[in-house]
Amino acid sequence: MATLHLLSRSPFADTSGASCLRLLGPGDGLLLSGDAVHALQSGSQPFDALRALPADRPCFALAEDLAARGLAVPDFVQAVDYAGFVELTLRFERTNSWL
Amino acid sequence: MAKSLLLICRRSPWSGPGAREALDVALAGGAFDLPISLLFLDDGVFQLQPGQQPAAVQQKDLTANLQALPLFGVEALYVARADLERRGLSAEHLSLPVTPVEDAALAALLNQHDLVITL
Repeated sequence: MATLHLLSRSPFADTSGASCLRLLGPGDGLLLSGDAVHALQSGSQPFDALRALPADRPCFALAEDLAARGLAVPDFVQAVDYAGFVELTLRFERTNSWL
Repeated sequence: MAKSLLLICRRSPWSGPGAREALDVALAGGAFDLPISLLFLDDGVFQLQPGQQPAAVQQKDLTANLQALPLFGVEALYVARADLERRGLSAEHLSLPVTPVEDAALAALLNQHDLVITL
């Protein structure tokens, strides 16, 4: 019954991340790619919002997009490569891309 | 049995082609009897504002497309109540009868559908 939400826009320039959190239910997952990984800048408001997510709403991020931006992987986030990205889309019942 | 689709419309009507394209997807799917629902979210709720005058910006009337939704069998129309209220709009004064949904019920709405597309 769960949805994997794909976010790619910076949370500081776009409301897709904030809106996505409103739609996130138990079992749903979040995958950050591109500029969306800026949400994992520690000390930022998006970082705190993601850290506060219940454990039944897992957060993933593309490792190479984090590395490119010099960001560390927080302990509440699971970094994945592109193969892991594909695997996640299969694990969840549906995906929802926030353009 | 065709897969059910929830289309999430987040674009304001006159900011670009996004709003019209999302409606085109809904109308095309409806014409093929696909089970489609629409959720107006974020600035997408501005599509429901009554009294729009698109001619003032040399655009076609999007409201006419919205009115066509029930004719094409797209009758499950939802709007995020919080986004209406944040923008000073009331669910009782919209150009189309839509069902307001509280934030707490949004995840369940997604779970009722096989596919979700956000535009």
